Amino acid sequence: MTCARSPVARTLRGAALGAVLAASLGGACRAAGTLAGPDPVALLRASVAAPESVSYVGQVETVRFSSNRATATIVKIEHRAPALTRRWFVAPEALYGDYVITRGMAMYQFDTKREKVTVSHVPANDEQLATTSNFDRVLQNYRPIFDGAGTVADRATTSIVLINKYTGERALRVWIDRDTHLVLKKEEYHASGAVASQTRFEELRYTGSIPDGIFSTDAPPGYERAAGQDITAPTSDVDAAIKNAGFSPYRPGDLPQGFMLARAEVTTVNGVRTLHLIYSDGLRSISLFENDANAAADFGALRPKTTHFEGHAADYIEDGPTTLLTWKEHGLAFALVGDLLLPELVQIARSVVP
Amino acid sequence: MNEHLSTERIIDFVHGELSPADDALAHAHLAACSDCREAYEIEALLSEALRSAAKAEELEMPSLVTAAVWDRIRQAKPSSASRLAAWLRPAYAIPVAAALLVGGFFASPLAHRAGPTIDATYYLEAHAAQAAQTPLSERSSSLVLETSMIANPTSSAFVDASADGLATTGAIDDVR
Repeated sequence: MTCARSPVARTLRGAALGAVLAASLGGACRAAGTLAGPDPVALLRASVAAPESVSYVGQVETVRFSSNRATATIVKIEHRAPALTRRWFVAPEALYGDYVITRGMAMYQFDTKREKVTVSHVPANDEQLATTSNFDRVLQNYRPIFDGAGTVADRATTSIVLINKYTGERALRVWIDRDTHLVLKKEEYHASGAVASQTRFEELRYTGSIPDGIFSTDAPPGYERAAGQDITAPTSDVDAAIKNAGFSPYRPGDLPQGFMLARAEVTTVNGVRTLHLIYSDGLRSISLFENDANAAADFGALRPKTTHFEGHAADYIEDGPTTLLTWKEHGLAFALVGDLLLPELVQIARSVVP
Repeated sequence: MNEHLSTERIIDFVHGELSPADDALAHAHLAACSDCREAYEIEALLSEALRSAAKAEELEMPSLVTAAVWDRIRQAKPSSASRLAAWLRPAYAIPVAAALLVGGFFASPLAHRAGPTIDATYYLEAHAAQAAQTPLSERSSSLVLETSMIANPTSSAFVDASADGLATTGAIDDVR
Protein backbone atom coordinates (compact mmCIF):
# COMPACT_ATOMS: atom_id res chain seq x y z
CA MET A 1 0.00 0.00 0.00
CA THR A 2 1.29 3.40 -0.85
CA CYS A 3 0.66 6.50 1.11
CA ALA A 4 -1.19 8.06 -1.79
CA ARG A 5 -3.90 5.39 -1.53
CA SER A 6 -4.56 5.72 2.18
CA PRO A 7 -7.74 7.49 3.29
CA VAL A 8 -5.76 10.03 5.23
CA ALA A 9 -3.58 10.77 2.27
CA ARG A 10 -6.59 11.08 -0.01
CA THR A 11 -8.15 13.53 2.43
CA LEU A 12 -5.00 15.60 2.68
CA ARG A 13 -4.50 15.49 -1.08
CA GLY A 14 -8.07 16.65 -1.61
CA ALA A 15 -7.67 19.44 0.88
CA ALA A 16 -4.44 20.58 -0.76
CA LEU A 17 -6.04 20.55 -4.19
CA GLY A 18 -8.94 22.58 -2.86
CA ALA A 19 -6.59 25.07 -1.31
CA VAL A 20 -4.73 25.46 -4.58
CA LEU A 21 -7.95 25.97 -6.51
CA ALA A 22 -9.20 28.45 -3.96
CA ALA A 23 -5.93 30.34 -4.11
CA SER A 24 -6.06 30.38 -7.89
CA LEU A 25 -9.65 31.60 -7.94
CA GLY A 26 -8.84 34.16 -5.31
CA GLY A 27 -5.88 35.41 -7.31
CA ALA A 28 -7.94 35.57 -10.45
CA CYS A 29 -10.73 37.47 -8.69
CA ARG A 30 -8.21 39.83 -7.14
CA ALA A 31 -6.60 40.43 -10.52
CA ALA A 32 -9.98 40.89 -12.16
CA GLY A 33 -11.14 43.19 -9.40
CA THR A 34 -8.18 45.47 -9.19
CA LEU A 35 -6.66 45.29 -12.62
CA ALA A 36 -9.65 45.10 -14.86
CA GLY A 37 -8.38 47.91 -17.06
CA PRO A 38 -5.26 47.32 -19.14
CA ASP A 39 -4.31 43.91 -20.35
CA PRO A 40 -0.95 42.53 -19.21
CA VAL A 41 0.55 42.75 -22.67
CA ALA A 42 -0.19 46.44 -22.91
CA LEU A 43 1.19 46.98 -19.42
CA LEU A 44 4.39 45.13 -20.31
CA ARG A 45 4.83 47.21 -23.44
CA ALA A 46 4.26 50.34 -21.40
CA SER A 47 6.89 49.23 -18.87
CA VAL A 48 9.49 48.73 -21.57
CA ALA A 49 8.83 52.20 -22.93
CA ALA A 50 8.54 53.92 -19.54
CA PRO A 51 12.19 55.06 -19.21
CA GLU A 52 11.73 57.11 -22.36
CA SER A 53 9.26 59.36 -20.59
CA VAL A 54 9.96 59.05 -16.86
CA SER A 55 12.85 60.73 -15.02
CA TYR A 56 13.93 59.56 -11.59
CA VAL A 57 16.69 59.15 -9.05
CA GLY A 58 17.07 56.14 -6.81
CA GLN A 59 19.10 53.22 -5.62
CA VAL A 60 18.94 49.78 -7.21
CA GLU A 61 20.12 46.50 -5.77
CA THR A 62 20.84 43.57 -8.06
CA VAL A 63 21.54 40.05 -6.83
CA ARG A 64 22.59 37.37 -9.29
CA PHE A 65 22.56 33.75 -8.19
CA SER A 66 24.72 30.95 -9.49
CA SER A 67 24.20 27.36 -8.44
CA ASN A 68 25.84 27.83 -5.07
CA ARG A 69 26.59 31.50 -4.51
CA ALA A 70 25.33 34.99 -5.14
CA THR A 71 26.84 38.26 -6.24
CA ALA A 72 25.26 41.58 -5.51
CA THR A 73 25.68 45.14 -6.65
CA ILE A 74 24.13 48.35 -5.40
CA VAL A 75 24.06 51.39 -7.65
CA LYS A 76 22.71 54.86 -7.25
CA ILE A 77 20.93 55.80 -10.42
CA GLU A 78 19.89 59.06 -12.01
CA HIS A 79 17.83 58.89 -15.16
CA ARG A 80 16.55 61.78 -17.22
CA ALA A 81 14.18 60.83 -19.97
CA PRO A 82 14.53 59.87 -22.63
CA ALA A 83 18.08 58.54 -22.71
CA LEU A 84 20.43 59.99 -20.09
CA THR A 85 21.43 57.72 -17.25
CA ARG A 86 24.17 57.69 -14.67
CA ARG A 87 24.86 54.65 -12.51
CA TRP A 88 27.16 55.14 -9.56
CA PHE A 89 28.40 51.99 -7.83
CA VAL A 90 28.00 51.83 -4.08
CA ALA A 91 28.86 48.14 -3.72
CA PRO A 92 30.84 45.94 -3.99
CA GLU A 93 33.82 47.75 -2.61
CA ALA A 94 35.92 46.91 -5.68
CA LEU A 95 33.57 49.04 -7.79
CA TYR A 96 32.81 51.72 -5.20
CA GLY A 97 32.93 55.16 -6.71
CA ASP A 98 33.05 53.97 -10.30
CA TYR A 99 30.24 55.23 -12.46
CA VAL A 100 28.74 54.75 -15.89
CA ILE A 101 26.99 57.34 -17.98
CA THR A 102 24.86 56.29 -20.90
CA ARG A 103 23.79 58.83 -23.47
CA GLY A 104 21.62 57.02 -25.94
CA MET A 105 23.77 54.29 -27.42
CA ALA A 106 27.06 55.67 -26.07
CA MET A 107 28.37 54.39 -22.78
CA TYR A 108 31.11 56.04 -20.71
CA GLN A 109 32.64 53.93 -17.99
CA PHE A 110 34.60 55.91 -15.40
CA ASP A 111 37.14 53.85 -13.53
CA THR A 112 38.04 56.16 -10.67
CA LYS A 113 40.75 53.91 -9.27
CA ARG A 114 42.68 53.64 -12.51
CA GLU A 115 41.70 57.14 -13.63
CA LYS A 116 40.41 55.86 -16.93
CA VAL A 117 37.29 56.46 -18.96
CA THR A 118 36.25 53.89 -21.54
CA VAL A 119 33.85 54.89 -24.26
CA SER A 120 31.74 52.19 -25.86
CA HIS A 121 28.88 51.96 -28.27
CA VAL A 122 26.11 49.52 -27.41
CA PRO A 123 23.03 49.37 -29.62
CA ALA A 124 21.17 47.53 -26.87
CA ASN A 125 20.77 50.91 -25.23
CA ASP A 126 18.44 51.81 -28.03
CA GLU A 127 15.12 51.10 -26.39
CA GLN A 128 13.24 51.30 -29.63
CA LEU A 129 15.40 48.67 -31.25
CA ALA A 130 14.88 46.29 -28.37
CA THR A 131 11.18 46.88 -28.23
CA THR A 132 10.36 46.40 -31.84
CA SER A 133 12.67 43.52 -32.64
CA ASN A 134 12.12 41.21 -29.72
CA PHE A 135 8.89 41.89 -27.90
CA ASP A 136 6.76 39.88 -30.27
CA ARG A 137 8.98 36.87 -29.74
CA VAL A 138 8.44 37.16 -26.01
CA LEU A 139 4.71 36.91 -26.52
CA GLN A 140 5.14 33.94 -28.83
CA ASN A 141 6.80 31.93 -26.07
CA TYR A 142 5.52 33.41 -22.84
CA ARG A 143 2.09 34.11 -21.45
CA PRO A 144 1.88 37.24 -19.29
CA ILE A 145 -0.59 37.06 -16.44
CA PHE A 146 -1.42 39.43 -13.63
CA ASP A 147 -0.08 38.35 -10.25
CA GLY A 148 -1.61 40.86 -7.92
CA ALA A 149 -0.69 44.16 -6.35
CA GLY A 150 2.22 45.07 -4.16
CA THR A 151 4.51 47.80 -2.94
CA VAL A 152 8.12 48.39 -3.93
CA ALA A 153 10.13 51.37 -2.69
CA ASP A 154 6.92 52.78 -1.22
CA ARG A 155 5.26 52.78 -4.63
CA ALA A 156 2.11 50.84 -5.51
CA THR A 157 2.88 48.19 -8.08
CA THR A 158 1.19 45.68 -10.31
CA SER A 159 2.93 42.36 -10.71
CA ILE A 160 3.02 40.42 -13.95
CA VAL A 161 4.41 36.92 -14.35
CA LEU A 162 5.62 35.54 -17.65
CA ILE A 163 4.83 31.84 -17.93
CA ASN A 164 6.70 29.68 -20.40
CA LYS A 165 4.07 28.30 -22.78
CA TYR A 166 5.95 25.03 -23.27
CA THR A 167 6.96 24.15 -19.74
CA GLY A 168 4.33 25.99 -17.74
CA GLU A 169 7.08 27.34 -15.51
CA ARG A 170 7.34 30.99 -14.61
CA ALA A 171 10.39 32.60 -16.15
CA LEU A 172 10.08 36.22 -15.08
CA ARG A 173 8.13 38.35 -12.66
CA VAL A 174 8.06 42.11 -12.80
CA TRP A 175 6.58 44.65 -10.43
CA ILE A 176 5.43 47.68 -12.41
CA ASP A 177 4.72 51.09 -10.94
CA ARG A 178 0.98 51.65 -11.27
CA ASP A 179 1.35 55.29 -12.12
CA THR A 180 4.53 55.56 -14.18
CA HIS A 181 4.76 51.96 -15.46
CA LEU A 182 8.44 51.85 -14.58
CA VAL A 183 9.65 48.36 -13.63
CA LEU A 184 10.57 48.66 -9.97
CA LYS A 185 11.43 45.05 -9.25
CA LYS A 186 12.22 42.04 -11.37
CA GLU A 187 12.92 38.38 -10.67
CA GLU A 188 14.20 35.93 -13.25
CA TYR A 189 13.88 32.20 -12.65
CA HIS A 190 15.74 29.10 -13.74
CA ALA A 191 13.77 26.26 -15.29
CA SER A 192 13.96 24.56 -11.90
CA GLY A 193 12.03 27.45 -10.35
CA ALA A 194 15.04 28.78 -8.48
CA VAL A 195 15.58 32.52 -8.60
CA ALA A 196 18.32 33.39 -11.07
CA SER A 197 18.48 37.11 -10.42
CA GLN A 198 16.61 39.83 -8.62
CA THR A 199 16.71 43.56 -9.29
CA ARG A 200 14.77 46.09 -7.27
CA PHE A 201 14.65 49.72 -6.36
CA GLU A 202 15.42 50.30 -2.71
CA GLU A 203 14.79 54.02 -3.02
CA LEU A 204 13.03 55.95 -5.74
CA ARG A 205 12.04 59.54 -6.34
CA TYR A 206 10.57 60.83 -9.55
CA THR A 207 11.97 64.18 -10.57
CA GLY A 208 12.46 66.17 -13.71
CA SER A 209 15.14 68.43 -12.30
CA ILE A 210 18.39 66.53 -12.49
CA PRO A 211 21.33 68.87 -13.16
CA ASP A 212 23.12 68.54 -16.48
CA GLY A 213 26.42 68.12 -14.67
CA ILE A 214 25.32 64.71 -13.43
CA PHE A 215 25.51 63.41 -16.98
CA SER A 216 28.72 65.13 -17.96
CA THR A 217 30.99 62.82 -19.88
CA ASP A 218 34.03 65.07 -19.55
CA ALA A 219 36.91 63.08 -18.19
CA PRO A 220 38.33 64.45 -14.93
CA PRO A 221 41.86 65.88 -15.19
CA GLY A 222 44.49 63.20 -15.60
CA TYR A 223 42.10 60.53 -16.79
CA GLU A 224 43.13 58.29 -19.66
CA ARG A 225 40.51 58.00 -22.37
CA ALA A 226 40.20 54.61 -24.08
CA ALA A 227 38.03 53.10 -26.76
CA GLY A 228 35.93 50.30 -25.38
CA GLN A 229 33.59 47.70 -26.66
CA ASP A 230 31.89 48.86 -29.83
CA ILE A 231 29.14 46.42 -30.52
CA THR A 232 27.11 46.54 -33.66
CA ALA A 233 23.89 44.63 -33.91
CA PRO A 234 24.58 41.17 -35.31
CA THR A 235 22.93 40.44 -38.60
CA SER A 236 19.69 38.55 -38.82
CA ASP A 237 20.96 37.16 -42.12
CA VAL A 238 22.33 34.12 -40.40
CA ASP A 239 23.20 32.27 -43.58
CA ALA A 240 25.42 35.12 -44.74
CA ALA A 241 27.26 35.15 -41.43
CA ILE A 242 27.79 31.40 -41.48
CA LYS A 243 29.09 31.62 -45.02
CA ASN A 244 31.58 34.25 -43.92
CA ALA A 245 32.85 32.16 -41.05
CA GLY A 246 35.24 30.35 -43.35
CA PHE A 247 34.47 26.90 -41.96
CA SER A 248 31.51 24.58 -41.63
CA PRO A 249 29.97 25.27 -38.25
CA TYR A 250 27.70 23.03 -36.21
CA ARG A 251 24.36 24.01 -34.73
CA PRO A 252 22.76 22.57 -31.63
CA GLY A 253 19.98 20.13 -32.35
CA ASP A 254 18.48 20.18 -28.87
CA LEU A 255 17.46 23.59 -27.57
CA PRO A 256 14.84 24.49 -25.00
CA GLN A 257 11.48 24.90 -26.70
CA GLY A 258 10.87 28.33 -28.12
CA PHE A 259 14.49 29.09 -28.85
CA MET A 260 15.42 29.89 -32.43
CA LEU A 261 18.51 31.14 -34.18
CA ALA A 262 17.95 34.86 -34.14
CA ARG A 263 21.21 36.52 -35.11
CA ALA A 264 24.82 35.79 -35.97
CA GLU A 265 28.10 37.59 -36.27
CA VAL A 266 31.63 36.79 -37.36
CA THR A 267 34.35 38.40 -35.29
CA THR A 268 38.11 38.13 -35.20
CA VAL A 269 39.19 37.75 -31.61
CA ASN A 270 42.89 37.56 -30.78
CA GLY A 271 43.49 36.74 -34.42
CA VAL A 272 40.92 33.95 -34.38
CA ARG A 273 37.94 34.12 -36.68
CA THR A 274 35.00 33.34 -34.44
CA LEU A 275 31.39 32.65 -35.35
CA HIS A 276 28.84 33.78 -32.79
CA LEU A 277 25.36 32.28 -33.11
CA ILE A 278 22.68 33.85 -30.92
CA TYR A 279 19.61 31.81 -30.04
CA SER A 280 16.72 33.48 -28.28
CA ASP A 281 13.19 32.86 -27.14
CA GLY A 282 12.65 36.58 -26.72
CA LEU A 283 13.31 36.59 -23.01
CA ARG A 284 16.44 34.51 -22.68
CA SER A 285 19.33 34.00 -25.04
CA ILE A 286 22.01 31.39 -25.64
CA SER A 287 25.28 32.11 -27.42
CA LEU A 288 27.30 29.48 -29.26
CA PHE A 289 30.82 30.49 -30.32
CA GLU A 290 32.83 28.36 -32.71
CA ASN A 291 36.30 28.59 -34.24
CA ASP A 292 38.38 26.20 -36.31
CA ALA A 293 41.73 27.53 -35.05
CA ASN A 294 41.85 25.19 -32.07
CA ALA A 295 41.71 28.31 -29.91
CA ALA A 296 40.80 27.26 -26.41
CA ALA A 297 39.29 29.59 -23.87
CA ASP A 298 41.76 31.33 -21.60
CA PHE A 299 40.05 31.51 -18.23
CA GLY A 300 42.84 33.48 -16.60
CA ALA A 301 42.00 33.90 -12.94
CA LEU A 302 38.41 32.71 -13.33
CA ARG A 303 39.21 29.21 -12.05
CA PRO A 304 37.11 26.96 -14.28
CA LYS A 305 35.82 23.55 -13.25
CA THR A 306 35.74 20.53 -15.49
CA THR A 307 32.81 18.35 -16.48
CA HIS A 308 32.63 15.47 -18.94
CA PHE A 309 30.15 14.48 -21.60
CA GLU A 310 30.41 12.08 -24.51
CA GLY A 311 34.09 11.58 -23.77
CA HIS A 312 34.87 15.30 -23.86
CA ALA A 313 36.43 17.23 -21.01
CA ALA A 314 34.68 20.59 -20.88
CA ASP A 315 35.63 23.57 -18.74
CA TYR A 316 32.92 25.75 -17.25
CA ILE A 317 32.43 28.72 -14.99
CA GLU A 318 29.35 30.30 -13.49
CA ASP A 319 28.95 34.07 -13.48
CA GLY A 320 25.81 34.57 -11.49
CA PRO A 321 23.05 32.78 -13.39
CA THR A 322 25.18 32.77 -16.54
CA THR A 323 27.14 29.62 -17.32
CA LEU A 324 30.01 29.40 -19.81
CA LEU A 325 30.93 25.93 -21.08
CA THR A 326 33.86 25.35 -23.43
CA TRP A 327 35.10 22.22 -25.16
CA LYS A 328 36.73 20.94 -28.36
CA GLU A 329 35.16 18.52 -30.76
CA HIS A 330 35.58 17.55 -34.40
CA GLY A 331 38.42 20.03 -34.92
CA LEU A 332 36.42 22.97 -33.64
CA ALA A 333 36.59 24.85 -30.36
CA PHE A 334 33.17 25.63 -28.89
CA ALA A 335 31.96 28.00 -26.19
CA LEU A 336 28.36 27.91 -25.06
CA VAL A 337 26.97 30.70 -22.87
CA GLY A 338 23.52 31.09 -21.41
CA ASP A 339 21.52 31.95 -18.34
CA LEU A 340 21.05 28.26 -17.75
CA LEU A 341 22.20 25.79 -15.16
CA LEU A 342 25.09 23.50 -16.08
CA PRO A 343 23.00 20.35 -16.76
CA GLU A 344 20.83 22.31 -19.22
CA LEU A 345 23.86 23.71 -20.98
CA VAL A 346 25.54 20.30 -21.16
CA GLN A 347 22.39 18.88 -22.72
CA ILE A 348 22.60 21.50 -25.45
CA ALA A 349 26.34 20.92 -25.86
CA ARG A 350 25.74 17.21 -26.44
CA SER A 351 23.57 18.05 -29.42
CA VAL A 352 26.00 20.44 -31.13
CA VAL A 353 27.97 17.72 -32.88
CA PRO A 354 25.66 14.77 -33.53
CA MET B 1 126.70 35.62 16.58
CA ASN B 2 128.57 36.48 19.85
CA GLU B 3 126.95 39.84 20.57
CA HIS B 4 123.93 39.76 22.86
CA LEU B 5 120.60 40.40 21.28
CA SER B 6 119.18 43.84 21.90
CA THR B 7 115.80 44.20 23.55
CA GLU B 8 114.24 45.44 20.26
CA ARG B 9 115.64 42.44 18.45
CA ILE B 10 114.29 40.04 21.05
CA ILE B 11 110.84 41.70 20.79
CA ASP B 12 110.94 41.39 17.03
CA PHE B 13 111.92 37.75 17.37
CA VAL B 14 109.04 37.09 19.74
CA HIS B 15 106.59 38.64 17.32
CA GLY B 16 108.17 37.01 14.25
CA GLU B 17 109.11 40.28 12.73
CA LEU B 18 112.68 39.35 11.75
CA SER B 19 113.81 38.34 8.32
CA PRO B 20 114.39 34.62 7.88
CA ALA B 21 118.15 35.03 8.06
CA ASP B 22 118.07 37.24 11.18
CA ASP B 23 115.43 34.97 12.70
CA ALA B 24 117.76 32.00 12.20
CA LEU B 25 120.75 33.84 13.76
CA ALA B 26 118.65 34.98 16.71
CA HIS B 27 117.33 31.46 17.24
CA ALA B 28 120.92 30.09 17.24
CA HIS B 29 122.12 32.74 19.65
CA LEU B 30 119.28 32.12 22.08
CA ALA B 31 120.17 28.45 22.09
CA ALA B 32 123.74 29.24 23.15
CA CYS B 33 123.34 32.39 25.32
CA SER B 34 121.57 31.96 28.66
CA ASP B 35 121.41 35.73 29.31
CA CYS B 36 119.65 36.43 26.06
CA ARG B 37 117.39 33.36 26.55
CA GLU B 38 116.35 34.73 29.96
CA ALA B 39 115.62 38.10 28.39
CA TYR B 40 113.65 36.33 25.63
CA GLU B 41 111.54 34.37 28.17
CA ILE B 42 110.74 37.56 30.07
CA GLU B 43 109.73 39.25 26.85
CA ALA B 44 107.66 36.24 25.79
CA LEU B 45 105.83 36.16 29.13
CA LEU B 46 105.20 39.88 28.92
CA SER B 47 103.82 39.63 25.40
CA GLU B 48 101.55 36.76 26.36
CA ALA B 49 100.34 38.69 29.40
CA LEU B 50 99.54 41.73 27.26
CA ARG B 51 97.74 39.59 24.65
CA SER B 52 95.63 37.89 27.30
CA ALA B 53 94.72 41.16 28.92
CA ALA B 54 93.72 42.68 25.60
CA LYS B 55 91.60 39.65 24.76
CA ALA B 56 89.82 39.81 28.11
CA GLU B 57 88.94 43.44 27.65
CA GLU B 58 87.91 43.05 24.02
CA LEU B 59 84.34 44.38 23.56
CA GLU B 60 81.94 42.69 21.15
CA MET B 61 80.14 45.06 18.77
CA PRO B 62 76.53 45.46 19.76
CA SER B 63 74.22 43.16 17.76
CA LEU B 64 72.18 46.08 16.36
CA VAL B 65 75.35 47.71 15.11
CA THR B 66 76.46 44.41 13.57
CA ALA B 67 73.09 43.99 11.88
CA ALA B 68 73.20 47.53 10.55
CA VAL B 69 76.66 46.96 9.12
CA TRP B 70 75.55 43.75 7.40
CA ASP B 71 72.47 45.51 6.11
CA ARG B 72 74.60 48.21 4.57
CA ILE B 73 76.78 45.56 3.01
CA ARG B 74 73.82 43.70 1.52
CA GLN B 75 72.27 46.88 0.19
CA ALA B 76 75.44 48.13 -1.30
CA LYS B 77 74.89 48.36 -5.08
CA PRO B 78 77.41 46.34 -6.95
CA SER B 79 79.12 47.90 -9.89
CA SER B 80 77.82 47.30 -13.40
CA ALA B 81 80.75 45.09 -14.12
CA SER B 82 80.20 42.96 -11.06
CA ARG B 83 76.49 42.68 -11.85
CA LEU B 84 77.28 41.52 -15.36
CA ALA B 85 79.80 39.06 -14.01
CA ALA B 86 77.20 37.73 -11.60
CA TRP B 87 74.69 37.16 -14.43
CA LEU B 88 77.30 35.30 -16.39
CA ARG B 89 77.78 32.79 -13.60
CA PRO B 90 76.43 29.38 -14.67
CA ALA B 91 73.87 29.36 -11.87
CA TYR B 92 72.14 32.30 -13.57
CA ALA B 93 73.25 32.05 -17.14
CA ILE B 94 71.84 28.58 -17.80
CA PRO B 95 68.28 29.24 -16.50
CA VAL B 96 68.19 32.61 -18.26
CA ALA B 97 69.22 31.03 -21.53
CA ALA B 98 66.54 28.36 -21.09
CA ALA B 99 63.90 31.01 -20.38
CA LEU B 100 64.89 32.93 -23.48
CA LEU B 101 64.60 29.80 -25.56
CA VAL B 102 61.16 28.98 -24.18
CA GLY B 103 60.00 32.58 -24.60
CA GLY B 104 61.32 32.63 -28.12
CA PHE B 105 59.44 29.48 -28.90
CA PHE B 106 56.13 30.83 -27.67
CA ALA B 107 56.67 34.09 -29.52
CA SER B 108 57.42 32.29 -32.72
CA PRO B 109 54.95 30.95 -35.29
CA LEU B 110 55.86 27.47 -34.07
CA ALA B 111 54.09 28.14 -30.82
CA HIS B 112 51.08 29.62 -32.55
CA ARG B 113 50.57 26.39 -34.33
CA ALA B 114 49.88 24.87 -30.90
CA GLY B 115 46.75 27.04 -30.70
CA PRO B 116 46.00 30.60 -29.70
CA THR B 117 43.53 31.33 -26.95
CA ILE B 118 40.47 33.49 -26.54
CA ASP B 119 39.86 35.28 -23.26
CA ALA B 120 36.87 33.65 -21.59
CA THR B 121 35.70 37.10 -20.57
CA TYR B 122 35.13 37.89 -24.23
CA TYR B 123 32.51 35.14 -24.40
CA LEU B 124 30.72 36.45 -21.31
CA GLU B 125 30.80 40.04 -22.51
CA ALA B 126 29.68 39.28 -26.04
CA HIS B 127 26.83 37.17 -24.73
CA ALA B 128 25.80 39.77 -22.17
CA ALA B 129 25.81 42.46 -24.85
CA GLN B 130 23.42 40.43 -26.97
CA ALA B 131 21.29 39.35 -24.04
CA ALA B 132 20.84 43.00 -23.13
CA GLN B 133 18.84 43.47 -26.30
CA THR B 134 15.91 41.47 -25.03
CA PRO B 135 13.04 43.76 -24.06
CA LEU B 136 12.93 42.91 -20.36
CA SER B 137 16.62 42.44 -19.75
CA GLU B 138 18.62 44.71 -17.51
CA ARG B 139 18.10 48.02 -19.24
CA SER B 140 21.14 49.62 -20.76
CA SER B 141 24.36 47.72 -20.48
CA SER B 142 24.76 47.52 -16.76
CA LEU B 143 24.88 43.75 -17.03
CA VAL B 144 27.67 43.95 -19.58
CA LEU B 145 29.52 46.31 -17.34
CA GLU B 146 29.18 44.19 -14.25
CA THR B 147 30.26 41.12 -16.14
CA SER B 148 33.37 42.92 -17.24
CA MET B 149 34.11 44.46 -13.90
CA ILE B 150 33.38 41.59 -11.61
CA ALA B 151 34.08 38.48 -13.59
CA ASN B 152 37.48 39.62 -14.68
CA PRO B 153 38.79 42.93 -13.39
CA THR B 154 41.79 42.65 -15.67
CA SER B 155 39.91 41.75 -18.80
CA SER B 156 42.13 41.73 -21.81
CA ALA B 157 39.99 40.26 -24.54
CA PHE B 158 40.61 41.82 -27.88
CA VAL B 159 38.42 42.10 -30.89
CA ASP B 160 40.81 42.68 -33.73
CA ALA B 161 38.74 43.56 -36.69
CA SER B 162 35.35 43.42 -38.26
CA ALA B 163 34.52 40.82 -40.83
CA ASP B 164 32.61 41.75 -43.91
CA GLY B 165 30.53 44.33 -42.17
CA LEU B 166 28.83 41.75 -40.03
CA ALA B 167 31.01 41.74 -37.02
CA THR B 168 31.93 43.66 -33.99
CA THR B 169 34.35 46.43 -34.71
CA GLY B 170 36.91 48.06 -32.51
CA ALA B 171 38.64 46.56 -29.55
CA ILE B 172 37.52 45.30 -26.22
CA ASP B 173 40.55 46.80 -24.71
CA ASP B 174 40.61 46.23 -21.04
CA VAL B 175 36.97 47.10 -20.51
CA ARG B 176 37.58 47.44 -16.83
